[in-house]
Amino acid sequence: MVDQSLSVPKYWRRIPQYYRLTALKCRKCGRVYFPPRAICDCGSREFDEVELPRRGRLIEFTVLRSVTSDFEKQRPLIFGIVDLNGVRVLGQLVDCPNPEKLSDNAEVEVVFRRVKEDSDYGIIYYGFKLRPLKGCW
Amino acid sequence: MGISALGYINGVHVIPPGRYYDKGYRELFAEAALKALESAGNPDIKAIYIASALSELTGEQLAIGNILRDYSGIRNAPSIRVENGDGSGGFAFMVALNHVASMNDGCVLLVGIDKPHEVTSLKQNKYASYLLDSDYESYFGATPVVLAALMAKQYLKNYEYKYEDLAAWAIKMHERGAKTPFAYFKRAAKLKDVLESELVADPLRLYDVSPFVDGAAALVLCSKPNTRDQAVGVLGYGFGASNSYFASRNDYTALMSVIEAVKAFNPLNDFNGIVSVHDTYSILGVLALESLGLCKRGSALRLLNEGYFDPGGKVMVNLDGGLKAVGNSMGASGVYQLASATMQLRGDKPFNGLNAEAAVVEDMVGVDQESVVFMLKVVK
Repeated sequence: MVDQSLSVPKYWRRIPQYYRLTALKCRKCGRVYFPPRAICDCGSREFDEVELPRRGRLIEFTVLRSVTSDFEKQRPLIFGIVDLNGVRVLGQLVDCPNPEKLSDNAEVEVVFRRVKEDSDYGIIYYGFKLRPLKGCW
Repeated sequence: MGISALGYINGVHVIPPGRYYDKGYRELFAEAALKALESAGNPDIKAIYIASALSELTGEQLAIGNILRDYSGIRNAPSIRVENGDGSGGFAFMVALNHVASMNDGCVLLVGIDKPHEVTSLKQNKYASYLLDSDYESYFGATPVVLAALMAKQYLKNYEYKYEDLAAWAIKMHERGAKTPFAYFKRAAKLKDVLESELVADPLRLYDVSPFVDGAAALVLCSKPNTRDQAVGVLGYGFGASNSYFASRNDYTALMSVIEAVKAFNPLNDFNGIVSVHDTYSILGVLALESLGLCKRGSALRLLNEGYFDPGGKVMVNLDGGLKAVGNSMGASGVYQLASATMQLRGDKPFNGLNAEAAVVEDMVGVDQESVVFMLKVVK
């Protein structure tokens, strides 16, 4: 039996958000939701799918040193809130060996990366991460 | 009596939180439940409410109610388990309160119980990450401390505080915990200890994080006050919620769920008495004071450092040392807060001489997911 602890369908159904940052835009008021929602705050249930822009600004970040069991080998992790044209997302910042050099409002781009692996025989999970454009070396 | 309450807390018992490798869920439950019932005069109970966040994750047990009941010999009352993360205790209390408010004469038992120390700390962190959105936040490795750290950074920056100002929370909680018989941390901490403790997620250090503890706390909640001694009534409660996806919130320096929940009461800017806030992280304790309306936005840390929230003052905050010193027993933590506030209002040792009439108890799910706030009052 494969030693697998994470769920494949739970991952698979979110691929549009993990890979392409697919959000929902309300047809009535134009508000964009990431992650998607069933009902807009304006009451409308009609949405169009839109992909969030691939570049944005860093609002805040922190370096997590005490990680969960799935991320033990990747310690430490940098997490940031990024504004992608008015929609804010939380994600991992990568390619940043010296996070103390990150500046407020640093420009970041969305990149596609490996997120975690499910033990030795399970699948590999992918998703978006955020890379400071000017780096932080 | 002159006060109309939704229910009365007629009995309490708390197990000193710790690492109970020699006791399982059933042993801790029995000890807390039976002693709380005894302290209430062993009334008949109509239901057993169990607040637990981790019973299936660390206890590998679904439908835990009958196991706990059978071991404790409590029969003829249905068990209802309430899970709402680390806010399970407050939410179970809300349900139990509504139950007794619907009865003419009767009591229910509420036990908050969790055992995070059945598993390693890496697993504990993973289970704590389940408090976030598992599809869109914890999938990427985020945990509650990440969100609390982002809030702390924004708060310190916006209101021009230094980390040393925030360190006062840990120092004051340790000082209070040192006098609390059931606290997990009974040792005072110095500024140097806090500043030299390891960084968990900057700016938050180990001393800003409440420690995971195994624990069980029980309350007997009745529709009529206990006539044998001074009773504590629950005058009311309020509930509030914030956006579930952290990044989408408009304000990272306020607890929207607490602001919503406290609207059930008159503004608390003139409140006089005991306050218990759910300080899973130091910054959440500080922000709770502001979001409850006990002081202005941005002023809590200054007032804390000036001693405004100390014992003997107008607003006495976390007299037992809060989750920081008592420990974070996850689903049980809110029941510890409520039991402790009851003991403080009754003037049980070491809380004698406070002469407080009312207590505000704030319990929160995760980092500002949902909150419930209760108003407790002494019934003479």
